[in-house]
Amino acid sequence: MSEPLIIAVPSKGRPKEQVDAWLADCGLEIQAGGGSRGYVAALKGAPGVQLRLLSAGDIADALDAGDVHIGATGEDLLRERRDMQAGIVLLKPLGFARADLVVAVPKSWVDVESMFDLEEVAHDYLARTGRRMRVATKYVAQTRAFFAKNGLADYRITESGGATEGAPAAGAAEFIVDITTTGATLTANGLKVLSDGLILRSQFHLAASLRASWSADQLQAAEAFLRVIEARAVAKTSATLIWPADGGASDAIVEALVAAGASRRPSGLLAPAGEASEAATRLTAAGVGPVSVSRPDFVFDTECKPFDVLKRSISDIGVKTGGF
Amino acid sequence: MRSEPAVPSNILAAIRAPFAGVGAQAVDAPLLQPLSLLLDLAGETMRQRLFVVQAEGGPEYCLRPDFTVAIARRHLESGAAAGRYSYEGAAFRAVPDSDGAEECLQIGLEVFDPAGPALETEIEIIDLAWRSALAGGRKDLTLWLGDVGLFAAFVDGLDLPPTLTARLKRAAGRPRLLQAELARAGEEGAAPAGGQLAAMLSALPQGQAVALLEETWALAGIEPVGGRGPAEIAERLVRRAGEASAPALTLSQADAVRRFLAISNTPQAALADVRMIASVGDRLAIAFEAWAARLAGLTAAGIPADSMGLATALGHAFDYYDGLTFEVRSEALERAIAVGGRYDSLLARLGGTNDAQAVGCMVRPWRAFSGGEA
Repeated sequence: MSEPLIIAVPSKGRPKEQVDAWLADCGLEIQAGGGSRGYVAALKGAPGVQLRLLSAGDIADALDAGDVHIGATGEDLLRERRDMQAGIVLLKPLGFARADLVVAVPKSWVDVESMFDLEEVAHDYLARTGRRMRVATKYVAQTRAFFAKNGLADYRITESGGATEGAPAAGAAEFIVDITTTGATLTANGLKVLSDGLILRSQFHLAASLRASWSADQLQAAEAFLRVIEARAVAKTSATLIWPADGGASDAIVEALVAAGASRRPSGLLAPAGEASEAATRLTAAGVGPVSVSRPDFVFDTECKPFDVLKRSISDIGVKTGGF
Repeated sequence: MRSEPAVPSNILAAIRAPFAGVGAQAVDAPLLQPLSLLLDLAGETMRQRLFVVQAEGGPEYCLRPDFTVAIARRHLESGAAAGRYSYEGAAFRAVPDSDGAEECLQIGLEVFDPAGPALETEIEIIDLAWRSALAGGRKDLTLWLGDVGLFAAFVDGLDLPPTLTARLKRAAGRPRLLQAELARAGEEGAAPAGGQLAAMLSALPQGQAVALLEETWALAGIEPVGGRGPAEIAERLVRRAGEASAPALTLSQADAVRRFLAISNTPQAALADVRMIASVGDRLAIAFEAWAARLAGLTAAGIPADSMGLATALGHAFDYYDGLTFEVRSEALERAIAVGGRYDSLLARLGGTNDAQAVGCMVRPWRAFSGGEA
């Protein structure tokens, strides 16, 4: 029996709910492993796959280390890995668990609105007190990179164990870099986001490890899995139009719609969901009808973008490491 | 940990020899240095080059990346005004994504002498580093001189509005910040001027301005947090509003800055290049005088004129240095064999007095050794 494809998914909290719901929506059912090993599960509908349940942070670590092949976790956590591109390739954004990584300063700093202001203030602070301003954050790598890009060097990072937003009020830091969804927690803690302080619009992504060892079987299992989830994603943005045989009355309209991106069906069309109503109206206006519009469950296409990305990235690595 | 191989003992002795005759006290420094202090001094970018160690529940330390800070602190603790300290030992720098050595041997000298002859000490130290590097046997050495203060003097001569002057000087040694300033040249910047609040504050004496700001905060439901008091914020609001817009360099000023930073030549020629593009105010005149004296001294010490170069571009590795800087380089190596410079302000930042004078140099024997690093 060959080694299964290991896919890491969140083990607890809201991320777990969202990923489980997404998989279920794709027709894949998580079957928890029996016995004492509660962190392993099977995925019904995805042959050759073993699920590993880890925290979102551990998933990012595991992808970086090559302990799992594929994982679903936040882009903010993935980009914390030093030199992410060397170890991890993003396959697909999943559209949930959205949050922004931002630079936030006290609201009372009415004279600081941009990174430009912050740089000046930080420098003055150092010159005046001999100490650097402290920024509390868990996102050390992205903070350093963003500050370097914006010319801010006069600062120190204090790693925030618990609630980063509380650090300025507690006197543990002067400002913060943190993830925020609604901004309510920041406001409640007397903080505001700088006008150009958005570091990353993060969401959950499906990502693959370039450091894991990939066998042909595992790649095949990955293809099957990725085709299913991609088919479901495409279906959600597509609509099927069907109408009775009309002896050619619809041909010109169909040509135009196909030229605009729709694709033919034996007796109808597959079109982007947002354009379905307009297309149906054009047909009925030309005397073709009734036109029924329905939503497909899955749309499998010959090409599957996430799998193409995976295949290309793995073979690039193979070229780099082969023969040395 | 990747360590350097050992330098043959006779070569090492030759590299070490010049340090024996300078009247210095040989000292050691603790292998573990307080992380917090080093990051405070050198900034966050230093962190990725350090090996951090921590006992359970204790403060963070790092393996010493160099000896300078430790020796400076030791000198301050001794209470003596002047002191010369030589050192030799391992230092540790993380070099991610490279095969470079992480543990390396350093030999160096730090001289603290508030009352002493500043220029002569500098010449002595440069000559020391030069002779020590030569003892490694390489035949392709050049001495590259620099001056952190020269850029500031040049900027003074541009006669810019005060905030722009301050910003440009601050951008020294920060390539990105500098590039951003040059890229902004010729723009009509629009600073958020702070609006009505700034206008009102500027009309009031300070005590009332602070009270007004605090009342505004209270009305807006803002709890002041974060180490900056209302006086400082009010003052900065008023200052920003006072400048019509965020001033930017004119295109010709930016051009002058670029030409200044591109200067890299034999020392006399480089200084002549600076003279051509700068308007020589007091500060620059003093700098030129100092350089004339330094170059005369270096020539008298026997350093060949065609082995010397002077460049105005500012590296950003030299966070401690605030005046003269120098490097001994080999054509065969990317990194410097020996480095050094003046770092007067470090002592003040460590709690010393403002009249401190500090100059030092450090040699890497494995790099100096012609059969060593390649």
